[in-house]
Amino acid sequence: MTRRRRSLVAGAVLVGLLGAVALLSLLWTPFAVSDTSGGRLAPPGGAHLLGTDRLGRDLATQLMVGARIALLTGLGAVAIGGTLGLAAGLAAGFAQRWLDDGIAATLDVVIAFPTLLLAMLVVAARGASLGSAVLALGLAMSAVVARLTRILVKRVLALDFVTAARTSGTSWPRVVAEHVLPNVWPTLVVNLALQFGLAVLAEASLSYLGLGPPPPNQSWGRMLQEAQSTVLTAPAGLVAPGLALVVLVVGANLVADGLREVADPLAGRAS
Amino acid sequence: MRKILTAAVTVALGLSLAACGADDTPSAAAGADATIGVGSLYEPQNLDNTGGGGQGVTEALNGNVYEGLFRLTDDGKTENLLATDYTVSGDGLTYTFKLRTGVTFHSGKALTAADAKYSLEKVIAPDSKSARKSSFGPVSGITAPDDSTLVVTLKTRSISFVYNLSYVWIVNSQNQSPTTTADGTGPYRFTEWKRGSTLSLARFDGYWGTRASNKEVVFHYFTDASALNNALLTNQIDIITSQQSPDALSQFTGNPEYKVNDGASTTKLLLAFNDRVAPFDNVKVRKAVYSAVDRKKLLESIWGTYGKLIGSMVPPKDPWFEDLAETNPYDVELAKRLLTEAGHGNGFSFTLDTPNYDPHPTVATFLKSELAKVGITVNINVITADEWYTKVFQKRDFTATLQEHVNDRDVVWYGNPDFYWGYRNPQVTQWVTQAEQATTADEQTSLLKQVNRQIAEDAASVWLYLYPQIVVASADLSGYPVNGLNSQFYVYGITKQEG
Repeated sequence: MTRRRRSLVAGAVLVGLLGAVALLSLLWTPFAVSDTSGGRLAPPGGAHLLGTDRLGRDLATQLMVGARIALLTGLGAVAIGGTLGLAAGLAAGFAQRWLDDGIAATLDVVIAFPTLLLAMLVVAARGASLGSAVLALGLAMSAVVARLTRILVKRVLALDFVTAARTSGTSWPRVVAEHVLPNVWPTLVVNLALQFGLAVLAEASLSYLGLGPPPPNQSWGRMLQEAQSTVLTAPAGLVAPGLALVVLVVGANLVADGLREVADPLAGRAS
Repeated sequence: MRKILTAAVTVALGLSLAACGADDTPSAAAGADATIGVGSLYEPQNLDNTGGGGQGVTEALNGNVYEGLFRLTDDGKTENLLATDYTVSGDGLTYTFKLRTGVTFHSGKALTAADAKYSLEKVIAPDSKSARKSSFGPVSGITAPDDSTLVVTLKTRSISFVYNLSYVWIVNSQNQSPTTTADGTGPYRFTEWKRGSTLSLARFDGYWGTRASNKEVVFHYFTDASALNNALLTNQIDIITSQQSPDALSQFTGNPEYKVNDGASTTKLLLAFNDRVAPFDNVKVRKAVYSAVDRKKLLESIWGTYGKLIGSMVPPKDPWFEDLAETNPYDVELAKRLLTEAGHGNGFSFTLDTPNYDPHPTVATFLKSELAKVGITVNINVITADEWYTKVFQKRDFTATLQEHVNDRDVVWYGNPDFYWGYRNPQVTQWVTQAEQATTADEQTSLLKQVNRQIAEDAASVWLYLYPQIVVASADLSGYPVNGLNSQFYVYGITKQEG
C-alpha cells in the first residue's frame, strides 16, 4: 500500500466514523436533544459520557446531532458548489476572447470576497438557517470550482486528441462527455474533497458567530460558542466539538490527499 | 487530564496577555496619585448621551465627567448636585432651581443657567435619542431668568421630575462636538479616547466639590469576557464593572488578591409577548406560558448561585418593589389547564425573535424545551441587535421576543399602550398617569404597587429573572460602586492602597 493510499484509507475511516455517528443519531442518542435534566455542567463520566452544558443537556448527544449538521453542510455545499461550478467552468472553458475574459474576471471578484463575508450577506438576506448556510457556502465554493474547471477544460481542449476528435467529426457534446470530463474529473474530485473540509469549518465559524442554523440545532460551532464562557470550569464542552471538527476536517483532507494519487491517470505512469 | 488542560490554557492565555499588556500595567503609584484601570465590555458608540452613545457612555462619563442638577446615588436615592435647592409651586407645575455658584466647566467657562436650559432642551429635542426623552413629556417651558436660576414649567404634575433630571447631563452649551469630546463640570476631565481600546479621564483640579481620590482613571474596553478577566488576572486593570459569566468567577473567588462583590442590579430578562396579536392577546395563554417555565432552573443554568427571581417588572431597588415571584408559579398542570381553557388544549406554535448574543440563544433553547412539555412549539428566529431595534421595537413586527431591560423605575412603560409589547389595560394606564401626577411619594408608591400587581396578574410579559451585578476588583481597591443602577459607575471615590 502506497503512502497516498494509506491516507485515503485513514481519511475514509475518520469521515466514515463520523458519518456512522451521524446516521446513528437519527435512530438513537443517549438522551433527547432537548432533555435538560442532566444538571448544570456535569463533569464527563457516568450517564453523561462527555458531561453536560449549562442547561443540563447531554454533550455527547449534541455532538452526535452536530455531526449530522456538519456532514449535511459539507455535502450540501459540495453539491451546490460542484454543480454550479462545473457548469460555469465548462461554459467559461469553451468561451473565447472578451466573454472568456469577462467570466474569468467575474470569478476572480467573487473569489476575492472572503467566504465568511459572502455567507454573512446571504444569511442577512435570507435569515439564519441551515439552508442559508449551505447555500451561501455552496455559492462561494462554486466560484473556486468554476475557476479550476475553466483552466482544466482549456488545457484539455488544447490537446491533440481533441483536435483529432473534432476533425474526425465528433460533436462537441460527445467531446465533452468522452474527452473533457474524464480528464477534468480527477483533479476536480480532489479539489471538492478539500472544499468539503473548508465548508465544514466555515459553517462552524458561522454558527460560532450566531449566523448558522438557529438553536436548538446544535452545530459544533454553536457548541464552541456556548462553551466559551465555561471553559475554565467545564473544558469538555469546548474540547469535544473542537476535536470532532479536527477529526472531520483532517479526515476530508486525507481523503483528498489519497484521491489525488488514485484518481490521477498520470500518477500511475510517473511512479 | 482536565486539570492539565485547564492549566495549559490558562498559562497560554496568561503568557500572551502578559506579553502584549506589559506596557499598560497601571502605575505602581497608590493613594491620591493612583491610576485606576477599569475593565468593561461596554465601549461607548460616541460620547453624547442624547446621541445614541449606548450604556458605555453612561458608565464612563455619568457623574465622573458630566453632572446633573441631581445625582442618583448607588443606593437609588436622588440628592442635590449642581442644584443647591429647588422650590415647587403650590399646583406642582412650576419648578424653580437654584444652581450652585462658582462651578466651571473643564474648558474654563463658568456654569450658568443658560447651560442648564440648553442641556434640558437637548434631551427633549426632536432628534434626541435619549432613553429618558419620553419622561419629560410634561415639560412645557424652560427659562433662565438669571445666571443661577432655572425655571421649568410643566403641563401636568410630575412627581418623578426631579428624579428624571438626574439623567440630564449639564453640558457646556458652546461645545460643538459633544460626540467626540466632553466638557462637563465633574470631578474628572476627559483626556483621550482611543477607539476600540481605552478612554482616559484625569482629575480636574478646579472641581467645585470634594476632589477625586485618585489621579487618573482609564477605562479599558474588551469585546470578549475571557480577555477582560485575564486583564484583571494579569494586573492590566484593577476592576471589572460588571461580570457576565458566573463560571469565570471561580478564578477570583477564594483568591485573597481579589474581591467579588454581589450587588443589586436593575437589569431584568424578559420574554416579552406582543400582547396585541393572537395567541398572546389572551391573558390565559400568557399565564400558561409563565407557569410552564421553570425559571429557577433557568436562572441557575445561566447564573449559578447568583441573580434573583422576580415576578414583575420592578427590581428590588425601586421604592415600589413587592416580591411577586410566586404570582405565576411554576406549575405545568396549571399551564395545561389554562391552555385548555383558552382553547389551545392541543398547543400552538409561535416564533421567538431572539437576539444573537449571550444569554438569549441559550435562554431560547431552554424555553423551547420547557414549552414543548405543554404542547407549545417555539420556532427560534435569531436576529441581530439592529434587527431587534427595527423589527421588534419600531415596527412591532413580532409575536414574542427576548430582551434585557436595564433601567430602574421602568414599570411605568406598561402604562403606555403604544410601547413595543403592546400591553393595553386602561386601568394600568390610569394608575401610571395618576402616580406621575401624585402629590406625595407615598401616593405614587402605592399606585405603582397596584400597577406592579396588575401586570403580574395579567402576565403582561414573562419576567424571567433579575441579573446579578457582580463587580470584581483587586483586594487593594476600595470605594467603588457595587450596585448597577442604569449602568452608572462612579469612579471618584476609588482608592488604591499603598503597597
